[in-house]
Amino acid sequence: MGALRVCATEFRRIASDPGALLILVGAVVLYAFFYPLPYVPEVLKEVPTVVVDLDGTSLSRRLARMADAHELIRVVGRSPDLVDAENAVRRGTAGGILEIPAGFERSVLRGDSATVGLYADAGYFLVYRQVTTGLLEVTRTLSAGIEIRRLEASGMPPAQALVARDPLPVVDRPLFNPAEGYASYIVPSILVLILQQTLLIGIGLLAGTAREQDAAPQAAGPLTVVLGRTLTYLVLYFAHAVFYFVVVYRVFGFPNRGDTATALVFALPFLLAAILLALAVSTVFRHRETALQVLLFTSLPAVFLAGFSWPKEMIPTWLNSISLLLPSTPAIAGFLRINQMGASLPDVAFEWRILWCLVGLYFALAWWAQVRSTRRFSVEARSVFTNHGSMQ
Amino acid sequence: MSLSPGVLAVARRELQRMRARVLYPLLVVVLPLVSFALLWTIFSAGTIRNLPVAVVDLDSTPLSRQLARMLDATPTMTVTQHVGSGLAAEELMLRGEIYAAVLIPRDLERNVLRGAPASVILYRNSQLLVPSSLVRRDAMAAVGTLSAGIEIRQREARGETPAAARDRFEPIRTDRHALFNPWLNYVYFLVSSLLPTMLQIFVIIAAVHAVGIELKEGTGPEWLAIAGGSVTRAVVGKLMPYTAGFLLVAWFMIAFTIRFMGVPLHGDLGTLLVGTTLFILAYEGVGVVLAAWFANLRFATSAAAFIVTPAFAFVGLTFPTMAMPPVAQAWGALLPLTHYLRLLVEQIMRGAPPAASLPELGALAAFVVVTPLIATRRLGTVLRDESYWGRL
Repeated sequence: MGALRVCATEFRRIASDPGALLILVGAVVLYAFFYPLPYVPEVLKEVPTVVVDLDGTSLSRRLARMADAHELIRVVGRSPDLVDAENAVRRGTAGGILEIPAGFERSVLRGDSATVGLYADAGYFLVYRQVTTGLLEVTRTLSAGIEIRRLEASGMPPAQALVARDPLPVVDRPLFNPAEGYASYIVPSILVLILQQTLLIGIGLLAGTAREQDAAPQAAGPLTVVLGRTLTYLVLYFAHAVFYFVVVYRVFGFPNRGDTATALVFALPFLLAAILLALAVSTVFRHRETALQVLLFTSLPAVFLAGFSWPKEMIPTWLNSISLLLPSTPAIAGFLRINQMGASLPDVAFEWRILWCLVGLYFALAWWAQVRSTRRFSVEARSVFTNHGSMQ
Repeated sequence: MSLSPGVLAVARRELQRMRARVLYPLLVVVLPLVSFALLWTIFSAGTIRNLPVAVVDLDSTPLSRQLARMLDATPTMTVTQHVGSGLAAEELMLRGEIYAAVLIPRDLERNVLRGAPASVILYRNSQLLVPSSLVRRDAMAAVGTLSAGIEIRQREARGETPAAARDRFEPIRTDRHALFNPWLNYVYFLVSSLLPTMLQIFVIIAAVHAVGIELKEGTGPEWLAIAGGSVTRAVVGKLMPYTAGFLLVAWFMIAFTIRFMGVPLHGDLGTLLVGTTLFILAYEGVGVVLAAWFANLRFATSAAAFIVTPAFAFVGLTFPTMAMPPVAQAWGALLPLTHYLRLLVEQIMRGAPPAASLPELGALAAFVVVTPLIATRRLGTVLRDESYWGRL
């Protein structure tokens, strides 16, 4: 019962502190809609592209028209030479260049091959990828048509010609995010991180405020306090998790092949680990704003350590191991596979076990920290008392 | 505005305050350097290589084994598993062990030799967008090479000379070029833009704190008195130690990027350094505006967090500005970081002449000029008015 009382008191403490409320509730909602804003269009299409047509024949014009018709490419102009076209890319008015060499049509008609130049701005990964994908597909299509016609002209039946021009084609099957949307790629993981970071900062802010005002810890044993406060944040953040996985996912239309119930079961050790970590860390803050000031920067490294944008195989092993101490690292890996890919709990067994280990570790730390801060407070209180005594 | 005695006296006072609390060296030097080191370590592998993929070889012929070897030999992929069915491959993907699986159907070799339709299927986890597109590129290239080899042999079998077969097998070929990043090293580009993204967090937090703490502790009149009553001199003097510290860190950052990471500097170092100075002053300016107008250290820090934490999503480096909704474009344009990173791309990657970066330098300078205009009067008011002090 003591823990429930602590839990209720903690709820009242959050509700009466606008600063804590802003982080533990306001930021959780606000960031979920603000952060995805740039990525809402999901896919980069119609990348402005310049054509350098050194051939000026009907075939070269046809290639340029086909490029313009491709959904990833929009031909915005022609340049007399490559230097001029590169300047357009340098100025940022174009992202790619299609260079058709002189003698292009003649070589192709003669039965030889010709080589076109594809240039893409490699300073922007997505631009580079879309331009090369689009222009490559266009050239392949035109080339395939020409080759099939040539083979047919030599007396091959159409069906056979189709096979002969590419005896071993690849069928590309992108799974789980088939449209290759950028918001669907980034935002689901960021949502998990928002939960962890707001917990760390929000709980740190409350602890710093209490320390600054020299407020007494709740009148209960350290263990009861830890359990009660954990319950408060678990209830609050479980509601946030439901809101994210049910409402926010729908609003943005992220692919969700997973079972929400599985995701919420997986959320239990994640939220417990993050809450207990926050409770343990929070005891070092002596001022209201310190948690915000020193924890803010951790979000970005935590994103890149989570393995969804930069492959974990490329991160040094020792750093990968240390990063498992951040609940967000195993949690993002697990949630991504459950929600986006439809994995079951056994599929995320590794992450599940790590998270429960973290729960154990941070529970012990939070308890110890609570024992220490209770003792510190009672020592301070006693010393104030004895000072008063000596003054009399 | 000369370095009048007031300015130096305030700077001396600030240095004394900075010695008293560990927070200051943490924010100005230690944490920025720690975050740089962390990001550099995460990306130290440089390129994405040898990602684990599975092969489902249902054919088990010399051709299918050759295909598996060619996939393994690509830079991005390593065949770590051979499994017996597509289902087993899916299981591996759900467990997060492979990025892609290549399915080689039964009778592949027989069909290819007979000239019958045959294809291999690439299943890739497109939820992990960046690795997945690299895998696609390399798988397409490997299978394409194999396919071209088969076609050339078949042409020779039909009586073409080897030279003619090699000339004719693909009428239009492509020659791909990466502009402005000839190594196509994504990491050069990513890390060199992530370090300033970390730096802006510390600059704004430190500036908000420097001004906000005077309001919180009600020491504004004393501060102003030392500056001879001038708000401008008070702010300049106060920010001087921070500016010096952050400039040193920023120069280190640039030296680190160019010398240690080996990012080539194609542009003008002077332009880069002027831009970097303006970048730091701009964020200090924004920080002072927030501290003055919210007159609440905790709230101003929360507002600063809202500006700097999601900033990287809005700068247009990963997901390009041209594809963003207008609101996101507008918000991005209001972030000094956007202009600074554009300048960085222009000067470091593209080798643009200094004049090409004038718009960015102008935008950054505008922040430096406009923020004092917005902040000064208000700051004078709140520093002198007791009702604004001690707000939590």
